Amino acid sequence: MLGLQNDAPTSDSGPAPRAERSDGRKNKTGRPPLPDVAGAASATIEDVLTARAAGSFDEARTILAAIDKGQGLRTVLRAAAALEAEDEDEVAKLLPLVRKDSPAWQLRLQVAAALDDGKGRDDLARRAEKLGAPAWSLAWLRALSSNDEEQRAGLVDLLFEDAALARTVAARDLGFADIKVDNDAIRRYAAFAHGRDVIRRFGAAHVVALLGRVDTSAG
Amino acid sequence: MSRPLLSIYRLDRDKLHELSGKLRDLLARDDRAGLASLLGLGEELARRLAAERSAVGLMLRPDEDAQASPIFASLRRVVKRAALEHVWTSESAALEGRLRAYDVLRDESDVADAIDRLLDAARLPWFLQRPGGTGGWLAVKERENLAERMGALGPALPEEVNALVEALGGMDGDALVHDRL
Repeated sequence: MLGLQNDAPTSDSGPAPRAERSDGRKNKTGRPPLPDVAGAASATIEDVLTARAAGSFDEARTILAAIDKGQGLRTVLRAAAALEAEDEDEVAKLLPLVRKDSPAWQLRLQVAAALDDGKGRDDLARRAEKLGAPAWSLAWLRALSSNDEEQRAGLVDLLFEDAALARTVAARDLGFADIKVDNDAIRRYAAFAHGRDVIRRFGAAHVVALLGRVDTSAG
Repeated sequence: MSRPLLSIYRLDRDKLHELSGKLRDLLARDDRAGLASLLGLGEELARRLAAERSAVGLMLRPDEDAQASPIFASLRRVVKRAALEHVWTSESAALEGRLRAYDVLRDESDVADAIDRLLDAARLPWFLQRPGGTGGWLAVKERENLAERMGALGPALPEEVNALVEALGGMDGDALVHDRL
């Protein structure tokens, strides 16, 4: 139980904050309940990431449970965190919701974009393409490659598919100094890039593992 | 500064597609010498292009960028020469406003939709889109239908609109409209 173990207080660390206690009463599955975090319902994904960065994985899961609306990125992260913590009951409960996430290609590409170049990234891109990922989204992923030639080819593809987005990606992601962000493309950019950045900070490997479960169970 | 005037060009889609493919290939390979040759750049512009981080990086710059502007102008010149043939230019700066807002045209939804497509710059390749510019295109069938439908409304339309209808109906092939080529 990676997350729960990390949250266990050590004997010489003094009393653990309420949010990080893991020695509470066990539920019927034998698993201690997640800590009660004051104000969790009004928290944000940023609070989740901050908690995880501080090693408070239980607290992060509690916040995710409180802010999850049953769809979208929050549900995905909640399920990935449950998988990380080997909480199979919660994973089973959330998996159908993650499977319904739409458009299905988007999450796979966001996760791929959060990964370094390699087989895992390529596999996710192929899966996204099979699920109907539009040409601009695949071009964007290619443009984010750390390989110069691949990046250039992706940027050219993106220019021909969606010039406004190509300018925005070049300015925001690739550090081209003389290119202006295109206001027409900001919303599309933000929707994709936010998910990618959050997944990267959360830990893309856990979301990859979750998608492995989703795709395996979907057949 | 006077408002630009709308022009109609006969569009050769095959040639535009071919040119676009060449441009894409050169940019993907970052073949700047090949690009300079395709665009017919002089020595000075070819040197500027060679000094850039990449050719595609230059193409992503704003239209008014001092380095990119002459390259864009060359590119549009090459496109015009290869794939566009000038048919007609309006004498009225009011034409675009009439097309977008004249109630007799707007009341006919099929006519209004076709006009909007003819003036939708997002339907043009990126290298023919210009900031603040108007442009678009219609395939031959759509152009013929639009000319016929607008022709039927003729008596109720202003003179500058009827001049456009006459030009659209009198040409052959696909029509590309632009005000800054």
